[in-house]
Amino acid sequence: MEFMIEKGPHIKDQDTTSKIMKRLLIALIPIIIFSIYKNGIMLYQTGSATFYQALRPLIMILLSVFTSVLIEGLFIWFILKKQKKQFKEYFKHSYAVFPGLFLVLVLPINTPLWAVVFGSIIATIIGKMLFGGFGHNIFNPALIGALFVTSSYGALIASRGGYLNLGEIDTVSSATPLTHLSNLNHIGTYDTIINEFGSWWNYFLGFIPGAIGETSKLLILIALIYLILTKVIKWQIPVIYISTVFVMTLIIGLYNDMGWWYPLMHILSGGLMFGAVFMATDPVTSPISKIGQVYYGLGLGILTVIFRFLTSYPEGVLTAILTMNMLVIIIDRLGAAVRFDLRKALLPFSLILLIGLSISFYTAYAIQPKEEGDDRVTILDINQINDNTIYHVTTKGFGGLIEAKIIFQNDKITKIDILNQNESYWLEINNNNYLNDLINEQDQISEVDIVSGATKTSTALKLMVERVLEENEKD
Amino acid sequence: MLSGVKVISNKKMSISDNIIEYKDPEIVYIPLVNHSNFDCKCLVSVGDKVLKGSVIGKRNDNIELPIHASVSGEVIGIEEKLYLNGQYVKCVLIKNDFKEKQAEFNGVKESITSYSKEKFIDLLKDCAVTGMGGSDFPTYLKYKNKLNTIIINAVECEPYLTADFMIAKLKTEEILEAIDAIMEINKMDKGIIAIKEGNSELKERFELFLGTYPNISLVLVDNIYPMGWEKHLIKKILDVKYDKLPSEKEIVVNNISTIYAIYRALKKHTPISRRIVTITGEKLKKPQNVLIKIGTSINEVINEIGGYKKADQVRLIAGGPMMGTCLDTDELIVTKNLSGVLVLPAEVPDDDITCLRCGRCDAVCPADLSPALIREYKNDYNKLKHLHPERCIECGLCSYVCPSKIDVRGAVKEAKKEIRRH
Repeated sequence: MEFMIEKGPHIKDQDTTSKIMKRLLIALIPIIIFSIYKNGIMLYQTGSATFYQALRPLIMILLSVFTSVLIEGLFIWFILKKQKKQFKEYFKHSYAVFPGLFLVLVLPINTPLWAVVFGSIIATIIGKMLFGGFGHNIFNPALIGALFVTSSYGALIASRGGYLNLGEIDTVSSATPLTHLSNLNHIGTYDTIINEFGSWWNYFLGFIPGAIGETSKLLILIALIYLILTKVIKWQIPVIYISTVFVMTLIIGLYNDMGWWYPLMHILSGGLMFGAVFMATDPVTSPISKIGQVYYGLGLGILTVIFRFLTSYPEGVLTAILTMNMLVIIIDRLGAAVRFDLRKALLPFSLILLIGLSISFYTAYAIQPKEEGDDRVTILDINQINDNTIYHVTTKGFGGLIEAKIIFQNDKITKIDILNQNESYWLEINNNNYLNDLINEQDQISEVDIVSGATKTSTALKLMVERVLEENEKD
Repeated sequence: MLSGVKVISNKKMSISDNIIEYKDPEIVYIPLVNHSNFDCKCLVSVGDKVLKGSVIGKRNDNIELPIHASVSGEVIGIEEKLYLNGQYVKCVLIKNDFKEKQAEFNGVKESITSYSKEKFIDLLKDCAVTGMGGSDFPTYLKYKNKLNTIIINAVECEPYLTADFMIAKLKTEEILEAIDAIMEINKMDKGIIAIKEGNSELKERFELFLGTYPNISLVLVDNIYPMGWEKHLIKKILDVKYDKLPSEKEIVVNNISTIYAIYRALKKHTPISRRIVTITGEKLKKPQNVLIKIGTSINEVINEIGGYKKADQVRLIAGGPMMGTCLDTDELIVTKNLSGVLVLPAEVPDDDITCLRCGRCDAVCPADLSPALIREYKNDYNKLKHLHPERCIECGLCSYVCPSKIDVRGAVKEAKKEIRRH
């Protein structure tokens, strides 16, 4: 009888790294299918896109994945010089598909195909292979690629429609929920924020503008549950990350008289859920210990809130994750030390809690609701002559500033004098006697229709009169 | 929550109502080894006639522990034979005369519970009572201090092994008598027998007799590996933490087979000459527990009980699957600390995969270490010292859970060496 030698233990858990990676892919499949449907097939069905245009998401995904696999293969063959059998063994456990796949899922639909390819190459080579390949990278490779694409080509992508697919370009007035929120200075009502995009269902099911893989929170949630049950990811990270953002935005919301829908909306917006479930949990670039993962999630949450509220920088989640990636080495050592002495956790934990709460309250205080027309109408001066009050005012029109004097007598507008205007369609304003309409109907000013041949001009004039009426009310 | 994993059991195949006593061998090989002492002194020469139980060697240092002959006969040589850790060690060869002649013993006049502590310790020394769960640690050293509680480890958390189970079942009354005596002699308040929850057969067996011993209680512990580890038992049963040794908190933990050896020492003033060994595994024709003379070469026993199932290759493991050693031959010598021999199917070696930093080893380590980090820094003393690899108990769970099938335990062992070098 021949006796085989091996190092112990002689029974082993049956799970392997390759099986884990397979389950990760399985979790992504519904999201991939949905992104191809929502940004492609659905558009073809509703007539917003031609057949070839509808293929775009599928082509983007295939291209990105194909590129990362090809580039990694070439790198391993020519630069690491692993040939034939060695190549096969190395490549089998290098999992080349992931940088390309995750990269494309966080990009906007209007990213040029060549930019997707570039991004995939950068993700693979700079994000992964130059660090030493699988297991050795410090930064999430897909996010390195995404950072490259959005930084270099952000303006180009925006000019082609940004995150809006062919169906959304017509129906949605501003870009993504977060851009819209930012325009409102982060304060609004259920109507102005949620209903702007349809309803909660749209947020949850994924029929809102966003990166092609990020929008369906329902599918991401299902993936999260699957990944936790099958022990694929470090679940503490997404749970703590999302909870931190929830708590911080809850504080901000409550301080500004907005209800529990506000933090819920924040969680369902942007790249947060996708980032928390798929990118922050990348095992190679996240902390090893459970307590480290808690710190990581807290840090991610705080950074994301800072980026969303206190900067105008887009891609807050992406940046937050890359920043925390840098700190993982320190977090790991802290995590290992805490195992022996739980008291060592108290100081960093209290510090983080303090920072998080301070940021929340500062932000809550610092943001101011936006008033419609705030910056469009400027009251230059107010004069009293006898019983006339004269408002000297400018408003942003279609072709530039419109300058006017609005005269009040006994709290009623009696005259509007236009001092200066550069409006191309002023003829329409005159033909429709618009200024007289504004004066005659000043008591129901919001009911006044705008002039259809000069919408922007008439809107500006109406706004100007409304603001002045408001101002007059105050005295 | 104690760290650990619910591993497979695979114990049914070797459990039975009785034990086969393997016929005594013609030659026994007594290793000149005790615990960490691998070059014990030989006190006999070729040609000497020895009795069963006479001293043929002793430890080579300050610890007083003799080595005994397990049969009567003639010393015919000294050879190197395979020990359970995979090393070849010097053994005294004794040709069995099959007369089983032993030193005269006139019986005990007094009750064993009335022995003085000095006499107790002397008996433990003279009869070379050592840890039979695998450690081979001289038991008397554990009893030198003041003690207040004894925990009897009948958990046997390693899969496949059932030797402790069998001796607990077959020698229940003797074991309880010994525990009672130990408690009386050492003036202990508490005596607790720890068995796994789910081990209803043993629970019922003990409960039959516990009525006579009001000071001894039975505690059921979690069915996880490594529940049999001292620190886990003490934490679970007494909710007590200690730094390095249980004696810091006046606690002693003994394996249940060792308790039986103590019984023989107290009652008959003799060292044990045989032990139950679980010979089991999927590639064995008839897995079972066998009572074997110390010094027997296990290949003889395996052949006697039916031998191997048909296979090109098998894995032969001394000990349990988690902490046992894989050997390249079956000419392994049975020693007091050999609890089992496994014969498992051969396996395809795993691919080399890089550590993906998944954190499973970190989450599972019973000693609260971070094996993945220790592995990363295993050659860097300055970073390593904060990770305390010296606390590793080598249970093997880190390697068990690793999805990349990395030899994590091996890396931590290397790190331990690095710490010792400084």
